[in-house]
Amino acid sequence: MSAVTDKATSLPAGFEALEAFVPYWVHETNDKRREARSTAQMEDIQAFYDTVVPMAEQGIAYLEQYELGKMPADAERLFKLLLAMNHAAIAVEMHGAPRAFDSTWPSAVRITQGPWPHGGRI
Amino acid sequence: MSAVIDKVETGTSGTPRHQMAEECFTLDAGLPTGPVSVEPYRSPEFFERERERVFKRAWLFAGRIEQLPEHDSYFVKEILICKASVLITRSKEGKVQAFHNVCSHRGNLVVNKPCGRAERHVCRYHNWAYGGKDGALLGIPDQKHFFDVDKKSLGLTPIACDVWEGFIFVNFQKQPEVTLAEFLGPFGTTYAGIPYFNLDETIVIQADFKANWKLIADAFAEPYHVPSLHPATLAPGFAHPEDNRYARPLSARAHGIHRHFSAYGNPHYVPAPTSKVESLVYIQDTGGVLGGDASENAQGVMNHPAINPTKNPNWSADVTWIFPNFNIDYSTGGFWIHEFWPVAYNRTQWTLRIFIPKTASIRHRLQLEHYASRWAEVVLEDVTNCERIQLGLESGAKDHMVLQDAEMLIRHNLWVLDKWMKADKVADALK
Repeated sequence: MSAVTDKATSLPAGFEALEAFVPYWVHETNDKRREARSTAQMEDIQAFYDTVVPMAEQGIAYLEQYELGKMPADAERLFKLLLAMNHAAIAVEMHGAPRAFDSTWPSAVRITQGPWPHGGRI
Repeated sequence: MSAVIDKVETGTSGTPRHQMAEECFTLDAGLPTGPVSVEPYRSPEFFERERERVFKRAWLFAGRIEQLPEHDSYFVKEILICKASVLITRSKEGKVQAFHNVCSHRGNLVVNKPCGRAERHVCRYHNWAYGGKDGALLGIPDQKHFFDVDKKSLGLTPIACDVWEGFIFVNFQKQPEVTLAEFLGPFGTTYAGIPYFNLDETIVIQADFKANWKLIADAFAEPYHVPSLHPATLAPGFAHPEDNRYARPLSARAHGIHRHFSAYGNPHYVPAPTSKVESLVYIQDTGGVLGGDASENAQGVMNHPAINPTKNPNWSADVTWIFPNFNIDYSTGGFWIHEFWPVAYNRTQWTLRIFIPKTASIRHRLQLEHYASRWAEVVLEDVTNCERIQLGLESGAKDHMVLQDAEMLIRHNLWVLDKWMKADKVADALK
Protein backbone atom coordinates (compact mmCIF):
# COMPACT_ATOMS: atom_id res chain seq x y z
CA MET A 1 0.00 0.00 0.00
CA SER A 2 1.21 3.40 -0.84
CA ALA A 3 -1.91 5.29 0.05
CA VAL A 4 -1.35 8.82 1.14
CA THR A 5 -0.56 8.95 4.83
CA ASP A 6 -0.63 11.70 7.35
CA LYS A 7 2.34 10.35 9.25
CA ALA A 8 5.27 12.70 9.33
CA THR A 9 7.56 9.75 8.69
CA SER A 10 5.95 8.47 5.50
CA LEU A 11 9.22 9.00 3.60
CA PRO A 12 12.64 7.54 4.43
CA ALA A 13 14.87 9.52 6.81
CA GLY A 14 16.63 12.37 5.06
CA PHE A 15 13.72 13.17 2.75
CA GLU A 16 11.53 15.05 5.23
CA ALA A 17 11.62 18.14 3.02
CA LEU A 18 9.45 16.29 0.50
CA GLU A 19 6.82 15.26 3.00
CA ALA A 20 4.49 18.15 2.22
CA PHE A 21 4.26 17.01 -1.41
CA VAL A 22 3.22 13.43 -0.67
CA PRO A 23 -0.56 14.02 -0.46
CA TYR A 24 -0.82 15.68 -3.87
CA TRP A 25 1.92 14.03 -5.92
CA VAL A 26 2.06 10.36 -4.89
CA HIS A 27 -0.09 8.26 -7.23
CA GLU A 28 -0.29 4.67 -8.41
CA THR A 29 -0.22 5.22 -12.15
CA ASN A 30 1.49 7.20 -14.84
CA ASP A 31 -1.85 8.62 -15.95
CA LYS A 32 -2.78 9.81 -12.44
CA ARG A 33 0.54 11.61 -12.07
CA ARG A 34 -0.07 13.26 -15.42
CA GLU A 35 -3.54 14.31 -14.33
CA ALA A 36 -2.16 15.76 -11.08
CA ARG A 37 0.29 17.94 -13.01
CA SER A 38 -2.23 18.91 -15.68
CA THR A 39 -4.73 20.18 -13.15
CA ALA A 40 -2.30 21.84 -10.71
CA GLN A 41 -1.50 25.52 -10.42
CA MET A 42 1.85 26.49 -11.90
CA GLU A 43 3.18 27.86 -8.62
CA ASP A 44 2.44 24.57 -6.90
CA ILE A 45 4.17 22.62 -9.67
CA GLN A 46 7.15 24.97 -9.43
CA ALA A 47 7.34 24.60 -5.65
CA PHE A 48 7.40 20.80 -5.95
CA TYR A 49 9.97 20.94 -8.75
CA ASP A 50 12.25 23.33 -6.86
CA THR A 51 12.22 21.08 -3.81
CA VAL A 52 12.45 17.65 -5.42
CA VAL A 53 15.04 18.27 -8.15
CA PRO A 54 17.97 19.08 -5.82
CA MET A 55 17.19 15.87 -3.89
CA ALA A 56 16.76 13.64 -6.94
CA GLU A 57 20.27 12.17 -7.10
CA GLN A 58 20.18 11.45 -3.38
CA GLY A 59 16.79 9.82 -3.86
CA ILE A 60 17.96 7.65 -6.77
CA ALA A 61 20.97 6.52 -4.74
CA TYR A 62 18.74 5.63 -1.81
CA LEU A 63 16.28 3.66 -3.97
CA GLU A 64 19.02 1.73 -5.74
CA GLN A 65 19.53 -0.41 -2.65
CA TYR A 66 16.18 -2.08 -3.39
CA GLU A 67 15.01 -4.39 -6.11
CA LEU A 68 12.50 -2.83 -8.49
CA GLY A 69 8.97 -3.67 -7.47
CA LYS A 70 10.05 -4.84 -4.00
CA MET A 71 10.48 -1.79 -1.83
CA PRO A 72 9.25 -0.92 1.64
CA ALA A 73 6.34 1.50 1.64
CA ASP A 74 8.39 4.57 2.54
CA ALA A 75 10.88 3.96 -0.27
CA GLU A 76 8.09 3.25 -2.73
CA ARG A 77 6.49 6.57 -1.81
CA LEU A 78 9.78 8.35 -2.49
CA PHE A 79 10.02 6.51 -5.81
CA LYS A 80 6.57 7.72 -6.82
CA LEU A 81 7.52 11.28 -5.92
CA LEU A 82 10.54 11.01 -8.22
CA LEU A 83 8.26 9.63 -10.95
CA ALA A 84 5.98 12.64 -10.44
CA MET A 85 9.04 14.89 -10.75
CA ASN A 86 9.12 14.01 -14.48
CA HIS A 87 5.63 15.36 -14.87
CA ALA A 88 6.50 18.55 -13.04
CA ALA A 89 9.42 18.85 -15.47
CA ILE A 90 7.07 18.71 -18.47
CA ALA A 91 5.37 21.82 -17.08
CA VAL A 92 8.49 23.65 -15.87
CA GLU A 93 11.05 22.69 -18.51
CA MET A 94 8.84 22.47 -21.61
CA HIS A 95 5.69 24.53 -21.42
CA GLY A 96 6.17 27.04 -18.63
CA ALA A 97 2.56 26.13 -17.93
CA PRO A 98 0.80 23.11 -16.43
CA ARG A 99 0.14 21.61 -19.86
CA ALA A 100 0.47 22.25 -23.59
CA PHE A 101 -0.75 25.62 -24.83
CA ASP A 102 -4.33 25.68 -26.12
CA SER A 103 -4.91 22.12 -24.92
CA THR A 104 -8.27 21.17 -23.49
CA TRP A 105 -8.92 19.56 -20.13
CA PRO A 106 -10.46 17.17 -19.25
CA SER A 107 -8.72 15.48 -22.11
CA ALA A 108 -9.63 12.54 -24.30
CA VAL A 109 -6.03 11.37 -24.00
CA ARG A 110 -5.22 8.66 -21.46
CA ILE A 111 -2.03 6.74 -20.71
CA THR A 112 -3.81 3.41 -20.43
CA GLN A 113 -0.65 1.43 -19.76
CA GLY A 114 2.47 2.86 -18.19
CA PRO A 115 5.96 1.41 -17.70
CA TRP A 116 6.52 -1.14 -14.94
CA PRO A 117 6.54 -0.66 -11.98
CA HIS A 118 3.91 1.88 -10.92
CA GLY A 119 2.84 2.65 -14.47
CA GLY A 120 -0.56 1.07 -14.08
CA ARG A 121 -3.14 -0.25 -16.50
CA ILE A 122 -6.55 1.18 -17.17
CA MET B 1 -18.68 15.28 -54.82
CA SER B 2 -16.75 12.23 -55.86
CA ALA B 3 -13.28 13.38 -56.75
CA VAL B 4 -11.00 13.42 -53.79
CA ILE B 5 -8.26 15.15 -55.66
CA ASP B 6 -8.93 17.86 -58.17
CA LYS B 7 -6.79 18.24 -61.24
CA VAL B 8 -5.59 14.69 -61.14
CA GLU B 9 -4.59 14.52 -64.78
CA THR B 10 -0.96 15.41 -64.44
CA GLY B 11 1.92 15.70 -62.11
CA THR B 12 3.70 18.31 -64.15
CA SER B 13 1.18 20.94 -65.20
CA GLY B 14 0.83 22.37 -61.74
CA THR B 15 4.04 24.29 -61.34
CA PRO B 16 5.12 24.50 -57.73
CA ARG B 17 5.45 28.15 -56.75
CA HIS B 18 8.46 27.23 -54.80
CA GLN B 19 11.25 25.66 -56.80
CA MET B 20 13.04 23.45 -54.36
CA ALA B 21 16.66 22.61 -54.85
CA GLU B 22 16.18 19.20 -53.32
CA GLU B 23 14.11 16.37 -54.75
CA CYS B 24 10.37 16.90 -54.93
CA PHE B 25 8.68 14.07 -53.03
CA THR B 26 5.26 14.79 -54.52
CA LEU B 27 6.31 14.75 -58.16
CA ASP B 28 8.62 11.79 -57.60
CA ALA B 29 5.63 9.86 -56.24
CA GLY B 30 3.71 10.66 -59.43
CA LEU B 31 1.15 12.76 -57.61
CA PRO B 32 -0.58 15.92 -58.77
CA THR B 33 0.07 19.17 -56.94
CA GLY B 34 -3.32 20.89 -56.89
CA PRO B 35 -5.59 21.58 -53.93
CA VAL B 36 -7.46 18.58 -52.50
CA SER B 37 -11.09 18.24 -51.47
CA VAL B 38 -11.92 18.15 -47.76
CA GLU B 39 -15.15 16.18 -48.28
CA PRO B 40 -13.48 12.92 -47.18
CA TYR B 41 -13.03 14.49 -43.74
CA ARG B 42 -16.52 15.86 -43.17
CA SER B 43 -19.03 13.95 -45.24
CA PRO B 44 -21.16 11.30 -43.44
CA GLU B 45 -22.00 9.79 -46.85
CA PHE B 46 -18.33 9.52 -47.74
CA PHE B 47 -17.72 7.83 -44.39
CA GLU B 48 -20.35 5.15 -45.05
CA ARG B 49 -18.82 4.42 -48.43
CA GLU B 50 -15.37 4.34 -46.83
CA ARG B 51 -16.62 1.64 -44.46
CA GLU B 52 -17.80 -0.53 -47.35
CA ARG B 53 -15.17 0.21 -49.99
CA VAL B 54 -12.07 0.50 -47.80
CA PHE B 55 -12.41 -1.08 -44.37
CA LYS B 56 -14.48 -4.08 -45.48
CA ARG B 57 -12.07 -4.80 -48.37
CA ALA B 58 -8.58 -3.88 -47.10
CA TRP B 59 -6.32 -5.96 -44.88
CA LEU B 60 -6.48 -4.39 -41.42
CA PHE B 61 -3.96 -4.59 -38.59
CA ALA B 62 -5.38 -6.54 -35.66
CA GLY B 63 -2.46 -7.30 -33.33
CA ARG B 64 1.06 -8.64 -32.82
CA ILE B 65 2.04 -12.28 -32.49
CA GLU B 66 3.45 -11.56 -29.00
CA GLN B 67 -0.21 -11.30 -27.95
CA LEU B 68 -0.43 -15.05 -28.67
CA PRO B 69 2.58 -16.36 -26.73
CA GLU B 70 1.48 -20.04 -26.59
CA HIS B 71 -0.85 -22.41 -28.36
CA ASP B 72 -4.45 -21.77 -27.26
CA SER B 73 -3.60 -18.15 -26.49
CA TYR B 74 -6.26 -15.76 -27.70
CA PHE B 75 -7.22 -12.12 -27.75
CA VAL B 76 -10.34 -10.27 -28.83
CA LYS B 77 -10.08 -7.29 -31.15
CA GLU B 78 -13.11 -5.04 -31.50
CA ILE B 79 -13.19 -3.47 -34.96
CA LEU B 80 -16.04 -0.99 -34.72
CA ILE B 81 -15.85 0.29 -38.28
CA CYS B 82 -16.71 -3.22 -39.46
CA LYS B 83 -19.06 -3.77 -36.51
CA ALA B 84 -17.06 -6.85 -35.63
CA SER B 85 -15.75 -8.55 -32.53
CA VAL B 86 -12.82 -10.65 -33.72
CA LEU B 87 -11.44 -13.62 -31.80
CA ILE B 88 -7.82 -14.26 -32.74
CA THR B 89 -6.25 -17.52 -31.62
CA ARG B 90 -3.13 -19.60 -31.97
CA SER B 91 -3.92 -23.25 -32.65
CA LYS B 92 -2.07 -26.26 -31.28
CA GLU B 93 -0.23 -26.38 -34.60
CA GLY B 94 0.85 -22.76 -34.11
CA LYS B 95 -1.48 -21.35 -36.75
CA VAL B 96 -2.86 -17.86 -36.15
CA GLN B 97 -6.58 -17.81 -36.93
CA ALA B 98 -9.35 -15.25 -36.70
CA PHE B 99 -13.07 -15.79 -36.19
CA HIS B 100 -16.14 -13.75 -35.64
CA ASN B 101 -16.60 -13.90 -31.88
CA VAL B 102 -20.23 -14.84 -32.39
CA CYS B 103 -22.10 -17.95 -31.26
CA SER B 104 -23.78 -20.08 -33.93
CA HIS B 105 -26.77 -20.68 -31.70
CA ARG B 106 -28.38 -17.28 -31.08
CA GLY B 107 -25.65 -14.86 -32.08
CA ASN B 108 -24.29 -13.88 -28.69
CA LEU B 109 -20.66 -12.82 -28.26
CA VAL B 110 -18.74 -15.88 -27.08
CA VAL B 111 -15.56 -14.55 -25.43
CA ASN B 112 -15.91 -11.58 -23.14
CA LYS B 113 -12.36 -11.32 -21.82
CA PRO B 114 -9.81 -9.24 -23.77
CA CYS B 115 -7.19 -12.01 -23.80
CA GLY B 116 -6.14 -15.26 -22.21
CA ARG B 117 -5.48 -18.90 -22.89
CA ALA B 118 -8.17 -21.52 -23.37
CA GLU B 119 -8.64 -24.80 -25.21
CA ARG B 120 -12.37 -24.23 -25.46
CA HIS B 121 -14.41 -21.07 -25.76
CA VAL B 122 -17.84 -21.40 -24.21
CA CYS B 123 -20.75 -19.10 -24.93
CA ARG B 124 -22.25 -18.51 -21.49
CA TYR B 125 -25.77 -18.06 -22.82
CA HIS B 126 -26.37 -21.83 -23.30
CA ASN B 127 -22.84 -23.24 -22.91
CA TRP B 128 -22.19 -23.97 -26.56
CA ALA B 129 -18.48 -24.77 -26.75
CA TYR B 130 -16.01 -24.05 -29.54
CA GLY B 131 -12.38 -24.88 -30.02
CA GLY B 132 -10.03 -27.42 -31.45
CA LYS B 133 -9.09 -26.95 -35.02
CA ASP B 134 -10.64 -24.12 -37.01
CA GLY B 135 -13.07 -22.95 -34.33
CA ALA B 136 -15.19 -26.09 -34.55
CA LEU B 137 -18.35 -26.48 -32.50
CA LEU B 138 -17.42 -29.06 -29.86
CA GLY B 139 -20.63 -29.52 -28.00
CA ILE B 140 -24.30 -28.57 -27.74
CA PRO B 141 -25.98 -29.09 -24.36
CA ASP B 142 -29.25 -31.00 -24.72
CA GLN B 143 -28.51 -31.58 -28.38
CA LYS B 144 -31.26 -34.19 -28.79
CA HIS B 145 -33.93 -31.53 -28.60
CA PHE B 146 -32.57 -29.61 -31.60
CA PHE B 147 -33.87 -30.41 -35.08
CA ASP B 148 -31.45 -31.93 -37.60
CA VAL B 149 -28.60 -29.89 -36.29
CA ASP B 150 -25.35 -30.24 -38.23
CA LYS B 151 -22.53 -29.49 -35.80
CA LYS B 152 -19.92 -29.48 -38.55
CA SER B 153 -21.49 -26.47 -40.19
CA LEU B 154 -21.87 -24.56 -36.92
CA GLY B 155 -18.29 -23.69 -36.02
CA LEU B 156 -17.20 -20.11 -35.44
CA THR B 157 -17.31 -18.09 -38.65
CA PRO B 158 -13.74 -17.64 -39.88
CA ILE B 159 -12.26 -14.30 -40.86
CA ALA B 160 -9.33 -14.21 -43.29
CA CYS B 161 -6.15 -13.74 -41.30
CA ASP B 162 -2.46 -13.61 -42.17
CA VAL B 163 0.77 -12.53 -40.54
CA TRP B 164 3.53 -10.31 -41.91
CA GLU B 165 6.68 -9.79 -39.85
CA GLY B 166 4.77 -10.62 -36.67
CA PHE B 167 1.94 -8.19 -37.46
CA ILE B 168 -1.45 -9.90 -37.65
CA PHE B 169 -3.87 -8.65 -40.30
CA VAL B 170 -7.49 -9.58 -40.96
CA ASN B 171 -9.72 -9.10 -43.98
CA PHE B 172 -13.52 -8.99 -43.81
CA GLN B 173 -14.15 -10.14 -47.35
CA LYS B 174 -15.42 -13.73 -47.19
CA GLN B 175 -12.91 -14.62 -49.89
CA PRO B 176 -10.35 -11.79 -49.95
CA GLU B 177 -9.80 -10.62 -53.49
CA VAL B 178 -6.09 -10.13 -52.82
CA THR B 179 -3.68 -11.81 -50.42
CA LEU B 180 -1.96 -9.90 -47.64
CA ALA B 181 1.29 -10.11 -49.63
CA GLU B 182 -0.43 -8.61 -52.67
CA PHE B 183 -2.03 -5.94 -50.52
CA LEU B 184 1.29 -4.96 -48.94
CA GLY B 185 2.97 -5.09 -52.36
CA PRO B 186 6.38 -3.40 -52.55
CA PHE B 187 6.05 -2.20 -48.96
CA GLY B 188 5.94 -5.77 -47.72
CA THR B 189 9.12 -6.76 -49.51
CA THR B 190 11.05 -3.53 -48.86
CA TYR B 191 10.32 -3.57 -45.12
CA ALA B 192 10.80 -7.31 -44.61
CA GLY B 193 13.55 -8.48 -42.28
CA ILE B 194 13.73 -5.53 -39.91
CA PRO B 195 14.93 -6.79 -36.52
CA TYR B 196 12.20 -5.89 -34.05
CA PHE B 197 13.15 -5.74 -30.38
CA ASN B 198 11.74 -4.74 -26.99
CA LEU B 199 8.35 -6.10 -28.01
CA ASP B 200 7.30 -7.46 -24.62
CA GLU B 201 6.83 -4.18 -22.74
CA THR B 202 4.63 -1.38 -23.91
CA ILE B 203 3.42 2.08 -23.07
CA VAL B 204 -0.13 2.48 -24.38
CA ILE B 205 -1.72 5.87 -24.97
CA GLN B 206 -5.30 6.08 -26.19
CA ALA B 207 -7.76 8.77 -27.13
CA ASP B 208 -11.39 8.72 -28.19
CA PHE B 209 -12.04 12.11 -29.74
CA LYS B 210 -14.16 14.17 -32.07
CA ALA B 211 -12.41 14.25 -35.43
CA ASN B 212 -12.21 12.24 -38.62
CA TRP B 213 -9.73 9.37 -38.47
CA LYS B 214 -7.67 10.77 -41.32
CA LEU B 215 -6.95 13.99 -39.44
CA ILE B 216 -4.95 12.17 -36.80
CA ALA B 217 -3.31 9.94 -39.40
CA ASP B 218 -2.36 13.12 -41.26
CA ALA B 219 -0.87 14.58 -38.08
CA PHE B 220 1.70 11.80 -38.02
CA ALA B 221 2.28 11.92 -41.75
CA GLU B 222 4.06 15.25 -41.93
CA PRO B 223 6.68 16.96 -39.76
CA TYR B 224 5.96 20.44 -41.17
CA HIS B 225 3.75 21.18 -38.12
CA VAL B 226 6.33 20.10 -35.56
CA PRO B 227 8.00 23.51 -35.01
CA SER B 228 4.65 25.29 -34.66
CA LEU B 229 2.33 22.82 -32.91
CA HIS B 230 4.94 21.04 -30.79
CA PRO B 231 7.36 23.87 -29.99
CA ALA B 232 8.49 22.48 -26.63
CA THR B 233 7.73 18.78 -26.81
CA LEU B 234 9.24 17.90 -30.19
CA ALA B 235 10.68 20.87 -32.07
CA PRO B 236 14.03 21.00 -30.25
CA GLY B 237 14.79 17.43 -31.27
CA PHE B 238 13.19 17.35 -34.71
CA ALA B 239 13.95 20.76 -36.21
CA HIS B 240 16.78 23.26 -36.16
CA PRO B 241 16.56 27.06 -36.47
CA GLU B 242 19.22 27.15 -39.22
CA ASP B 243 19.71 23.60 -40.52
CA ASN B 244 16.09 22.56 -40.87
CA ARG B 245 13.70 25.20 -39.67
CA TYR B 246 10.55 23.50 -40.95
CA ALA B 247 11.61 19.94 -40.12
CA ARG B 248 11.66 18.99 -43.80
CA PRO B 249 11.71 15.18 -44.22
CA LEU B 250 14.92 13.51 -45.24
CA SER B 251 12.93 11.35 -47.63
CA ALA B 252 9.26 10.70 -48.41
CA ARG B 253 8.18 8.00 -50.80
CA ALA B 254 5.21 5.94 -51.92
CA HIS B 255 5.49 2.15 -51.71
CA GLY B 256 2.53 1.00 -53.78
CA ILE B 257 -0.53 2.05 -51.78
CA HIS B 258 1.56 2.56 -48.64
CA ARG B 259 4.16 5.23 -47.84
CA HIS B 260 6.88 6.50 -45.55
CA PHE B 261 8.78 9.58 -44.56
CA SER B 262 12.10 9.85 -42.74
CA ALA B 263 12.23 12.45 -40.01
CA TYR B 264 15.13 14.76 -39.35
CA GLY B 265 16.78 14.61 -35.96
CA ASN B 266 18.61 17.65 -34.68
CA PRO B 267 22.17 16.36 -34.14
CA HIS B 268 22.97 19.32 -31.92
CA TYR B 269 20.16 18.59 -29.51
CA VAL B 270 21.05 18.46 -25.84
CA PRO B 271 18.69 19.36 -23.03
CA ALA B 272 18.95 23.01 -22.04
CA PRO B 273 20.99 23.62 -18.87
CA THR B 274 17.75 24.64 -17.20
CA SER B 275 16.17 21.30 -18.12
CA LYS B 276 17.53 19.58 -15.06
CA VAL B 277 15.18 16.64 -14.95
CA GLU B 278 15.53 15.83 -18.62
CA SER B 279 19.32 15.89 -18.20
CA LEU B 280 19.05 13.73 -15.11
CA VAL B 281 17.01 10.92 -16.60
CA TYR B 282 17.64 10.79 -20.33
CA ILE B 283 19.71 8.43 -22.39
CA GLN B 284 21.00 10.60 -25.18
CA ASP B 285 21.06 9.32 -28.72
CA THR B 286 21.38 10.65 -32.23
CA GLY B 287 18.96 13.47 -31.76
CA GLY B 288 15.67 11.71 -31.30
CA VAL B 289 14.17 12.97 -28.08
CA LEU B 290 11.61 10.20 -28.21
CA GLY B 291 13.75 7.71 -26.44
CA GLY B 292 17.03 6.06 -27.04
CA ASP B 293 18.16 2.50 -26.77
CA ALA B 294 21.61 2.07 -25.38
CA SER B 295 21.92 -1.44 -26.73
CA GLU B 296 23.08 -2.38 -30.19
CA ASN B 297 19.54 -3.29 -31.19
CA ALA B 298 18.90 0.07 -32.80
CA GLN B 299 21.94 -0.31 -35.04
CA GLY B 300 20.37 -3.36 -36.69
CA VAL B 301 17.32 -1.29 -37.56
CA MET B 302 19.37 1.63 -38.84
CA ASN B 303 21.44 -0.66 -41.07
CA HIS B 304 18.36 -2.02 -42.84
CA PRO B 305 18.16 -0.57 -46.36
CA ALA B 306 14.48 0.43 -46.00
CA ILE B 307 15.12 2.51 -42.91
CA ASN B 308 16.29 6.07 -43.53
CA PRO B 309 16.87 5.05 -47.16
CA THR B 310 19.17 7.99 -47.91
CA LYS B 311 21.18 7.03 -44.80
CA ASN B 312 21.22 10.66 -43.74
CA PRO B 313 23.25 10.95 -40.52
CA ASN B 314 20.75 13.44 -39.08
CA TRP B 315 18.01 10.84 -38.92
CA SER B 316 15.65 10.34 -36.01
CA ALA B 317 12.71 8.18 -37.09
CA ASP B 318 10.83 6.69 -40.02
CA VAL B 319 7.08 6.92 -40.16
CA THR B 320 5.48 4.22 -42.29
CA TRP B 321 1.81 4.42 -43.06
CA ILE B 322 0.22 1.16 -44.12
CA PHE B 323 -3.06 1.90 -45.85
CA PRO B 324 -5.59 2.57 -44.56
CA ASN B 325 -5.14 3.18 -40.82
CA PHE B 326 -1.93 1.71 -39.45
CA ASN B 327 1.54 3.13 -38.79
CA ILE B 328 4.71 1.29 -37.88
CA ASP B 329 7.38 3.77 -36.85
CA TYR B 330 11.06 3.03 -36.43
CA SER B 331 13.43 5.19 -34.44
CA THR B 332 16.84 5.31 -32.88
CA GLY B 333 15.22 4.02 -29.72
CA GLY B 334 12.85 1.36 -30.99
CA PHE B 335 9.35 1.08 -32.40
CA TRP B 336 5.89 2.36 -31.96
CA ILE B 337 2.64 1.69 -33.80
CA HIS B 338 -0.49 3.74 -34.32
CA GLU B 339 -3.99 2.46 -35.00
CA PHE B 340 -6.43 5.10 -36.22
CA TRP B 341 -9.88 3.51 -35.94
CA PRO B 342 -12.85 5.35 -37.38
CA VAL B 343 -16.01 5.36 -35.27
CA ALA B 344 -18.01 7.98 -37.13
CA TYR B 345 -17.16 10.56 -39.77
CA ASN B 346 -16.22 12.90 -36.91
CA ARG B 347 -15.09 10.46 -34.22
CA THR B 348 -11.93 8.37 -33.90
CA GLN B 349 -10.44 5.92 -31.47
CA TRP B 350 -6.68 6.07 -31.58
CA THR B 351 -4.25 3.70 -29.92
CA LEU B 352 -0.52 4.37 -29.75
CA ARG B 353 1.55 1.43 -28.56
CA ILE B 354 5.18 2.23 -27.78
CA PHE B 355 7.49 -0.74 -27.39
CA ILE B 356 10.00 -0.19 -24.61
CA PRO B 357 12.80 -2.15 -22.99
CA LYS B 358 12.19 -3.86 -19.66
CA THR B 359 12.86 -1.49 -16.79
CA ALA B 360 16.50 -2.02 -15.85
CA SER B 361 17.10 0.42 -13.01
CA ILE B 362 15.63 3.26 -10.98
CA ARG B 363 17.06 5.86 -13.33
CA HIS B 364 15.81 3.95 -16.36
CA ARG B 365 12.33 3.84 -14.87
CA LEU B 366 12.44 7.61 -14.37
CA GLN B 367 13.45 8.02 -18.00
CA LEU B 368 10.55 5.82 -19.13
CA GLU B 369 8.17 8.00 -17.09
CA HIS B 370 9.54 11.11 -18.77
CA TYR B 371 9.29 9.40 -22.16
CA ALA B 372 5.65 8.38 -21.60
CA SER B 373 4.81 11.84 -20.28
CA ARG B 374 6.37 13.62 -23.23
CA TRP B 375 4.51 11.31 -25.61
CA ALA B 376 1.21 11.96 -23.85
CA GLU B 377 1.82 15.67 -24.15
CA VAL B 378 2.56 15.38 -27.89
CA VAL B 379 -0.61 13.37 -28.28
CA LEU B 380 -2.60 15.95 -26.32
CA GLU B 381 -1.34 18.66 -28.65
CA ASP B 382 -2.36 16.63 -31.71
CA VAL B 383 -5.76 15.51 -30.43
CA THR B 384 -6.74 19.01 -29.36
CA ASN B 385 -5.62 20.27 -32.74
CA CYS B 386 -7.53 17.61 -34.71
CA GLU B 387 -10.77 18.49 -32.94
CA ARG B 388 -10.27 22.11 -33.93
CA ILE B 389 -9.61 21.15 -37.57
CA GLN B 390 -12.79 19.08 -37.63
CA LEU B 391 -14.78 22.11 -36.49
CA GLY B 392 -13.10 24.26 -39.11
CA LEU B 393 -13.77 21.81 -41.93
CA GLU B 394 -17.38 21.19 -40.92
CA SER B 395 -18.05 24.93 -40.92
CA GLY B 396 -18.03 24.73 -44.68
CA ALA B 397 -15.75 27.73 -44.94
CA LYS B 398 -13.27 25.82 -47.09
CA ASP B 399 -13.85 23.20 -49.74
CA HIS B 400 -10.19 22.44 -50.35
CA MET B 401 -6.90 22.31 -48.57
CA VAL B 402 -3.51 23.10 -50.07
CA LEU B 403 -0.66 20.75 -49.35
CA GLN B 404 3.06 21.41 -49.59
CA ASP B 405 5.70 18.90 -50.62
CA ALA B 406 6.47 17.77 -47.06
CA GLU B 407 2.79 16.80 -46.79
CA MET B 408 3.13 14.32 -49.65
CA LEU B 409 1.93 11.37 -47.54
CA ILE B 410 -1.44 13.04 -46.94
CA ARG B 411 -1.85 13.65 -50.66
CA HIS B 412 -0.83 10.08 -51.41
CA ASN B 413 -3.34 8.71 -48.91
CA LEU B 414 -6.18 10.73 -50.44
CA TRP B 415 -5.06 9.62 -53.88
CA VAL B 416 -5.08 5.95 -52.87
CA LEU B 417 -8.34 6.37 -50.95
CA ASP B 418 -9.97 7.80 -54.06
CA LYS B 419 -8.91 4.73 -56.03
CA TRP B 420 -10.42 2.40 -53.40
CA MET B 421 -13.66 4.38 -53.41
CA LYS B 422 -13.95 4.13 -57.20
CA ALA B 423 -12.51 0.70 -58.01
CA ASP B 424 -15.01 -2.15 -58.13
CA LYS B 425 -12.17 -4.66 -57.94
CA VAL B 426 -9.56 -4.49 -55.20
CA ALA B 427 -6.87 -5.41 -57.71
CA ASP B 428 -7.67 -2.19 -59.56
CA ALA B 429 -7.34 -0.21 -56.35
CA LEU B 430 -3.83 -1.54 -55.89
CA LYS B 431 -2.59 -0.29 -59.25
